[in-house]
Amino acid sequence: MEVKEKNGLSSNQIKFMISGGLLIIAVIILIISATKSSAEFFLTVEELLTSPEEYQSQNIRVSGAVLGGSINFNPETGLLHFTIAHIPADDELTETDGELSMVLHQAVSDPDAPRLAVVYEGAKPDMLRDEAQAILTGKLDSEGVFIAEELLLKCPSKYEEALPEQAE
Amino acid sequence: MTASLGYMVLALAFLLALYGLVIVIIGLIKKSHVYIESARLALLLIFPLVTISVGILIFLLVRDRFDVAYVFSVSSRDMPVYLKLTALWGGQEGSLLFWSWLLAGFSAVLTTRKFRRYVDLLPWSMMVALILLVFFLGLNVFMATPFTRFWHYIDGGRMLSVFQPSNAWPLTPQDGQGLNPLLRHPGMVWHPPALYLGFVGFVIPFALAVATLITRRQDGDWVEISRPWTLISWVFLSLGLVLGMRWAYDVLGWGGYWGWDPVEIAALMPWLSATAFIHTALFQRRRTNFTRWNLSLIILTFSLVIFGTFITRSGVLSSVHTFAGSEIGPAMFFITSLIFLGGIGLLVYRWGDFRPVQEIEFGFSRVVLTLFSNLVLLSILMVCFLGVVYPIFSDLFTGTQVTVGPAWYESITGPLFLSLLLLMGICPLAAWSVSQLTKSPKQLLVLAPLSLLVPLLVWFFGNVRDIYALTALWLAGLAGVVIIGEYVISAQMAIRGKEASLLRGLWEPIKKNHRRYGGMLVHLGVVLMSLGIIGLEGLFQETQVTLARNESVVLGTYQMTFEGIDQFSDSAGINTTQAVLTINDDGEPVGSLYPSREVYTNIGMAVTNPALRATLRWIFMQFWWTGSLKWQTRRHSGYFSTPW
Repeated sequence: MEVKEKNGLSSNQIKFMISGGLLIIAVIILIISATKSSAEFFLTVEELLTSPEEYQSQNIRVSGAVLGGSINFNPETGLLHFTIAHIPADDELTETDGELSMVLHQAVSDPDAPRLAVVYEGAKPDMLRDEAQAILTGKLDSEGVFIAEELLLKCPSKYEEALPEQAE
Repeated sequence: MTASLGYMVLALAFLLALYGLVIVIIGLIKKSHVYIESARLALLLIFPLVTISVGILIFLLVRDRFDVAYVFSVSSRDMPVYLKLTALWGGQEGSLLFWSWLLAGFSAVLTTRKFRRYVDLLPWSMMVALILLVFFLGLNVFMATPFTRFWHYIDGGRMLSVFQPSNAWPLTPQDGQGLNPLLRHPGMVWHPPALYLGFVGFVIPFALAVATLITRRQDGDWVEISRPWTLISWVFLSLGLVLGMRWAYDVLGWGGYWGWDPVEIAALMPWLSATAFIHTALFQRRRTNFTRWNLSLIILTFSLVIFGTFITRSGVLSSVHTFAGSEIGPAMFFITSLIFLGGIGLLVYRWGDFRPVQEIEFGFSRVVLTLFSNLVLLSILMVCFLGVVYPIFSDLFTGTQVTVGPAWYESITGPLFLSLLLLMGICPLAAWSVSQLTKSPKQLLVLAPLSLLVPLLVWFFGNVRDIYALTALWLAGLAGVVIIGEYVISAQMAIRGKEASLLRGLWEPIKKNHRRYGGMLVHLGVVLMSLGIIGLEGLFQETQVTLARNESVVLGTYQMTFEGIDQFSDSAGINTTQAVLTINDDGEPVGSLYPSREVYTNIGMAVTNPALRATLRWIFMQFWWTGSLKWQTRRHSGYFSTPW
């Protein structure tokens, strides 16, 4: 043991390191190729609309406030259309529900806020409604319509209320 | 009154934990057995106290005490009793109390007789448990107490408080808000508690590992005495994950068994490191050169457990599991850092005291293969971690947030999971170590080519051509065939050698080596699960059909007909629209499906309930309502499907 440590690594240890190293290299290659093909840019509606050509063929994740009046589901084609309004990036939002609902409300009421038309193939989620936060994954088509493949909704609704409305 | 009592009992438990912690530290410094014994009794007493507190909360839930803020927020009159019980972990405060209760229970285990034999380890592991109890009970008492009540003043002002403020009267709402409709599901009964049990149980090996590090004990006793608890925790954690997978099919938008949601990943990460730990813990008995590795793994596992609780409970990530915002984020972040950095620090400090006794020889042996499966498990863990933190780092370095979705995780972890299957399949073919080649199970080598039959049959009869899926099927087949083959050979030897009866022969190998066959049984479960996952990922077909009344859709040999609609509402204001679909298999009626849509008029929420049917051949079908007498079907997959 002593001799081996003085001379550096034993051949046994080298075998371990080579095979372990090969595994690690394989994992790194997998990570790099997956990142190249399927990483998604997390953008705001404004960022996406400022330079749409830059993101044309990329996978994009975009978040915005749902405009209730724009929701339209066609049962014949199974296509769901709606529009989202720009809200600031996630990290600028405070975590409390109260403030998120205020941001969403402002985005929906502001006629100057950038807006993005969305189409999604699939059933209409129950939480898709006015002033919900939609987090969409998909691609932007050449006409500036967002083709969503995934649809995640957050509702900072009146659901969790601090104090009850009705008393005895 | 009852609520205040629950609070006071909880506060008493907290004080006891604080007392125990102080006294155990004094005892350790003074090396006084009296102090340590007193701490042990304090630790033992915390569990019944927290049990009373939990019992009181359950009582408040069942008795519809809506003057209690927690009961108001998670329960309502119309909920069935079983859901009222599950409301215990339906919200932040209650689930934290449940967490503390489990923690108190597992900590009490530490003080039982079996553990008391290890006089030097016990005080230190008690100290670890008490630190955690002080923290979590403290959260329950000071920051997230489930016993807060509503009060109002003469002038109409309202406030929240545990005890009655002067000049204030209790405010009792007519009804509670009720559990989030998405959580009103039988899955709520088993999925959260199983996960929590699995999470918290790791406190026992963790506390013993810390004690081992501090006392520099060289033997593997800590692994041996914590082994049953590690296994129980692992089983419950696995069960919790699997139950969650099943539940996710019943809710529209949760997307089936695995969606790479941050919270799912947070629960998978400790599972991965715990799985690695269980495997190398086996070697701790045989050779002590795994001590460092095992200590690192269990510290990592418990850190990830607390990290997972932090992620779930703090709402820092957007996830389908986020049901409420929270104020305990910073506190949870603190304890996560404390455990992780404390554990790592201790490990580094004591690294030199746990030198390996002998080198492991490289070669085709079980030890080396297991070590590799460990590396693969940890690689998957790293990938998970990377995926969760990727957005944060990309934002820091490039200014644009880049996130990763399910496709990213799947393309990386797919090959890694397959290599785990391969290692699982060839490991029984190897001898324990290179130097011990005596009973290399040669008969098993015959079985390896036999496993090629699995993908060949699927290729031939199932018309599956995807090479990735076929490879995966071969690996799953190999693992399955080797496990069964090994067992059959052992049983045969028992029958021949002892001239035992068939039943005796089948039982003999299990009796002789129940640990090994317990593990093999779990492996067989993994093989079965892989078959399902390969079916879903590799052979998945999806169509969308919209059905009008009396229309049918044909999937394989199945014919499904949309018969009509039922509408009904119950007294609690839930209006249900339900479709009736009849299923025929080869012309024979085999059952009906009832996809529905429920509108909760009292809280203005609607829930779409997909209906599904799972059979061996067809894994999955899902139906939901699309409005105006139209029902849709999507998602089905299966082996041996005829193309259409």
